[in-house]
Amino acid sequence: MSEETTGKTFSNYGLYDINESLELDLPNTEIRIKKISENVFSYSRQNFDDDLIEKIIPIQSSKLQIELCPIRPLNFPARRTNHMYLDVDTPVFLSENSSATVFLRCPIEIGVFFVHDGHKDSLDCFTCNPVDSRFCLYGSPESGTLCKYAKTEIVESYDDSIPFINAVLKVNLQNTLSKGLSITKVVFPVSSNSIYYKDSKSIIDSLHAVLKKKLTLEIIDVDFEKIQTDFTLSPTYEKIETVKHMDMGVD
Amino acid sequence: MALEFLSSLSEIEIIGGLTLLSLFVGGIIMAVGVIIARTVRVLFAKYYAPKLPQDSAKNFGKLIYFGIIIISFLVFTSTTGVDFSGLLVAGGIFGIVIGFATQSVISNLISGIFLMIEKPVKQGDKIEIVGSDVIGTLLDISTFSVRVQKFDGTIIRIPNESFFTSNIRSLSSTPIRRSEAIIGIAYKEDIEAAISVMGKEIRKSMKFVLILPEPEFRVKELADSSVNIEILVWHPRDDWGQVGPVLLKVAKKALDDNGIEIPFPQRVIWNAKD
Repeated sequence: MSEETTGKTFSNYGLYDINESLELDLPNTEIRIKKISENVFSYSRQNFDDDLIEKIIPIQSSKLQIELCPIRPLNFPARRTNHMYLDVDTPVFLSENSSATVFLRCPIEIGVFFVHDGHKDSLDCFTCNPVDSRFCLYGSPESGTLCKYAKTEIVESYDDSIPFINAVLKVNLQNTLSKGLSITKVVFPVSSNSIYYKDSKSIIDSLHAVLKKKLTLEIIDVDFEKIQTDFTLSPTYEKIETVKHMDMGVD
Repeated sequence: MALEFLSSLSEIEIIGGLTLLSLFVGGIIMAVGVIIARTVRVLFAKYYAPKLPQDSAKNFGKLIYFGIIIISFLVFTSTTGVDFSGLLVAGGIFGIVIGFATQSVISNLISGIFLMIEKPVKQGDKIEIVGSDVIGTLLDISTFSVRVQKFDGTIIRIPNESFFTSNIRSLSSTPIRRSEAIIGIAYKEDIEAAISVMGKEIRKSMKFVLILPEPEFRVKELADSSVNIEILVWHPRDDWGQVGPVLLKVAKKALDDNGIEIPFPQRVIWNAKD
């Protein structure tokens, strides 16, 4: 199971059965799992900064099963928010009473789960792109919302995710206002959106963003929509409080 | 047998109409009152307290407990049939005397009540008492005092009156905070280039610094030996420790790596004969 990206071959997402040892190569990251004694495995992850994470995994059987999959980008550098701020590099202009569908890249993190007895326990999580994993504030310093920040670009389809770095998110935009507006960012609670994977591709539940008038304010009402796909649903890494939707102000 | 025993108790008068039987009944009432108070407090703590802020839950718990005890005591006094009015008058005078003697205690109690009503800060907030060296995490607001755990791990107790009248700076009420640092560069250096390299290094190595609002650089002062640049960066409110103490180190590294001079203080002295 592997995928070649920009000249280097990386591992794929999915379930791995380990009898003796396993090596997974990801962008900027290497994972090594090996059997060190009967029913005991060692897990180590090393990233491009030579940061090394090591764990010992005692198990009941002689075989270890793990799942490597994309997870929501909420855990690195620390768990502080449920919200995602996608800063669109090329704004989308919507004329009055029009709608459009765009595909955006959304960052992901990688989760490693220990699979046993029908359970998936979180073993590790990390990002393959730590330099771009940063926070930002949506709103004013007094009452704004802390978000994970990502500069994003519009892509053509679900096939355009970059393995282990980002997933593709479909956004249905609808302008019900009586004037045209440019959309430069999308802010939403990503904790509601599930992530799905297949080989090294990943996708996220869609968003439905409606530009509308609420009393005297013009807002973008962002809600999530489950998608129907043959991709595999990623397990949830973090314990979350589900927030269904978000009202953004219109700039 | 039991009736005879109770009847014998009712005949034994202790003082002013207070019989041993009424004292016995009163004891039962108080015991039942204490059991009810404890049970209600446990039920409150289990089912309702988790929905309330921690300090409010604690104070409501106390209020319910002592409220039931006081009601039990009132029931006890009413069942005995003893006239306590003389005791109340004496108690009133005694209360005034005690009130004068314990003025600061009463003051702390009243301040504590107002702190609980006003709620300028809540348990777990990071606070600073302006003008003092108290900066840390608020542990609790109790009847007479407030406890703050300083960042060095020690706990300081502040009387409620003193806390209530102080200027309290809350470090937890907004989602983000700002940290600042000032660094000087030599007069010969390009200010824009220095700002650019510091901005890039902060973006690269300080993972808790916010992208938006962007880090800000201001020329603070044309000082004696250097052009002083003020760096202002925002970060999540709980991550000051990851940003504040390392900001200057990162800025210096950026300048050093790019050969931008941070000058020593220097003074040129001209001799009058020259």
